[in-house]
Amino acid sequence: MTNSLTAGIEIPNEPDWARMRSEIGARLRSAMADHGVDALILLMNGHVQYATGVSWPLLDAGLSHVERPVAVVLADDEHPHLFLPFRSGAASEPPVPHDHVHGPVYLEFDHGVAEFARVLAELIPSSATIAVDELTGAMRRSAATLFPSGPPQEAAIVVGAAQLIKTRDEVSCLRQAARITEAAMADVQKALAPGVRQIDLSALLVRRAFELGATANMLEAIWQVMPASREAGVWTTHGDLALPLLPTDRELSAGDVLWTDISFSYAGYCSDFGRTWLVGEQPTAAQHDQFRQWRAILDAVLAVTKAGATSGDLARAAIAANGGRKPWLPHFYLGHGIGTYPAEAPMIGTDLGEDFDDNFVFPPGMVLVLEPVVWEDGTGGYRSEEIVVITEDGYLSITDYPYSPYGD
Amino acid sequence: MEAHELDILVLGRQANVRYVTGAPQLWIAGTRPFGPVCVVVRASGDIYLNTTDDEGVPEEIGHDHLYGLTWNPMTLIDVLKKIDGAETALRVGTDAITPTFAALLPEAFPAAELVDGELAMRAARRIKTPDEIAVMGEAIRIAEGGLAAGVTELRAGLSEQKLAGAVLEAMAAGGVSTPATQDAAWVTSREHPWQRAQPNGTVQDGDLVAFAAGALAGGYVGEVGRTRQIGTITAEARQLHQRSNTLYDKLIAACRPGASTRDLLAAYDAAREPIPPMPIAHGLGLGFDPPVVSETLSAAGEDDHLDAGMVLAITGYVWQEGVGAVFRRDTVHVTATGPEVLTHSPPWPAN
Repeated sequence: MTNSLTAGIEIPNEPDWARMRSEIGARLRSAMADHGVDALILLMNGHVQYATGVSWPLLDAGLSHVERPVAVVLADDEHPHLFLPFRSGAASEPPVPHDHVHGPVYLEFDHGVAEFARVLAELIPSSATIAVDELTGAMRRSAATLFPSGPPQEAAIVVGAAQLIKTRDEVSCLRQAARITEAAMADVQKALAPGVRQIDLSALLVRRAFELGATANMLEAIWQVMPASREAGVWTTHGDLALPLLPTDRELSAGDVLWTDISFSYAGYCSDFGRTWLVGEQPTAAQHDQFRQWRAILDAVLAVTKAGATSGDLARAAIAANGGRKPWLPHFYLGHGIGTYPAEAPMIGTDLGEDFDDNFVFPPGMVLVLEPVVWEDGTGGYRSEEIVVITEDGYLSITDYPYSPYGD
Repeated sequence: MEAHELDILVLGRQANVRYVTGAPQLWIAGTRPFGPVCVVVRASGDIYLNTTDDEGVPEEIGHDHLYGLTWNPMTLIDVLKKIDGAETALRVGTDAITPTFAALLPEAFPAAELVDGELAMRAARRIKTPDEIAVMGEAIRIAEGGLAAGVTELRAGLSEQKLAGAVLEAMAAGGVSTPATQDAAWVTSREHPWQRAQPNGTVQDGDLVAFAAGALAGGYVGEVGRTRQIGTITAEARQLHQRSNTLYDKLIAACRPGASTRDLLAAYDAAREPIPPMPIAHGLGLGFDPPVVSETLSAAGEDDHLDAGMVLAITGYVWQEGVGAVFRRDTVHVTATGPEVLTHSPPWPAN
């Protein structure tokens, strides 16, 4: 995909880690000041990665609760505090100063929380306004000691405000994640043939992605075989298409249309890869038309994409280019942000409503994943994803993968 | 729920939702924000599930009890309000909560006190049924297949990333593309205990390479860990391996019903091995299950006891300066008649 007008956004080939820490720290403290928050207590893996720069191959959600890295960000401290479990085989250098590194905390347990509260009391004044992103049961039982000044605020709002604008080093990480994913998917696409199973594609993908430097597989790889018609598809609450459907060990057949959805992380920053593939055949004229329709919608959206535009502007452009109907599924969106979590604010075109979208103004530096969907029974439809950075005059693309076998 | 006097449970953790509904959900690595994904009403036994499609959803949960994915928390609150029993519930338990939902849930449950529901879920999930052990066996089998593939590929000059990729690939090829752990291979440090030699390292001759494989299959987690030396096995490595075996025997012996989790820490002392800073045991099941046994947590006063039917991941870790570490992890089922080790990967290549 070619770039549109840029405004001198330079994305470094390699992130400058120290600069990234410094710039993100400034953004977080500014967001805290805006929201009147003196201290952030962060438990969500994505938030901890964002606030401290530590990244690690993520565990399954369940095991993630055994020992979680926790970050404490203070409004008046240049560096965050990091409560870091010793991963069996952890790297020796955490990205924060040694006097800001603490041992692990066990927030699922009452005694673990009591220990944490003791340390916090030394870091955070009792009158401080605190925001937290998750409370375990043990934390709720000790709320009075953890949050002496009263019930905590929602940290996700504060962190989200900071995360909305990506620094150039963050964009570098996002682009690297995209490149790793694209290179791995190129190998997978070569292996796509009738008789191959979805799970085989997942196997090849994860191997290649790790070889190419991925930090973690963020999402179960989706290779959804699209139904002949909406009618024939899996039952849904809204009557439209289901997405995503989990991979199986069934063998793919010639003519299967696959909607792919993949996410890997690099240094904690996520990719979001989407392409429509066809197994063992070339697209029919009707299928090529689906792609052209998708392309036209994407172009119409990109034509209005720039700083100062709103989510509503993009939604309207997409709808207009699609003959008056929304080119996205009812339970999803036209697009969404991305960072240390595969889907971040803003989500465009959701049940948050048109007013919400009309009031969401894009700042330069925001990163957006655009994923319109077109469908016609008998074609398998078309869905792909592209990621752009919003600039003053337009956008800069950080994804670059062919559409074949669709397109020219 | 009755024991914890909960009228309604609102669950967000993947493991809890799976436990209650049996329905598979899209797997995302790491933690995810709390949201009301599943609701259980004690009086009626009704279950409601946040899902847009019915793939894999048991028939007992009717279509009218499925509510689709949304992005506006108020849409979810509206759904919860309409649940039969929401208006009159007096105690509503959630397995975690955010400040956002702490403020919003009372709109759906106006008469209720919001309390912790995770303790009720832990109690329910603590003891595994024979069926659950069987499903865990499958997860273990996949994990062990992954480990074997990593070991097979092991040779000097490979990157840790490549080895990790091989482990994950093998698990996916075995049918499971949802790993429980992704940090699958690392060169153990000869200078620093508990650490990897360097970030994104390359394997060299003589290195002791640790492999940790874990799979989430059928909703359950199985884990295994083994260490191998590259090239000819040295006398020092053999000695370290012997120490690992001694430690392992004592750890397994401590997996008895009624035993305190302190006994697991004591096994390290008895083997005269320093206790590592990582947990040396954690419960396994659908996801997070207590106990977590670590020196720090035990010192803070958090101890537990073992019951027949519990499943643990037991970790043995021994280290020698100049040599490296032997890391070992096994999945162990605590039974009335003694510990049943469910993982069978060979600890050392046959002579």
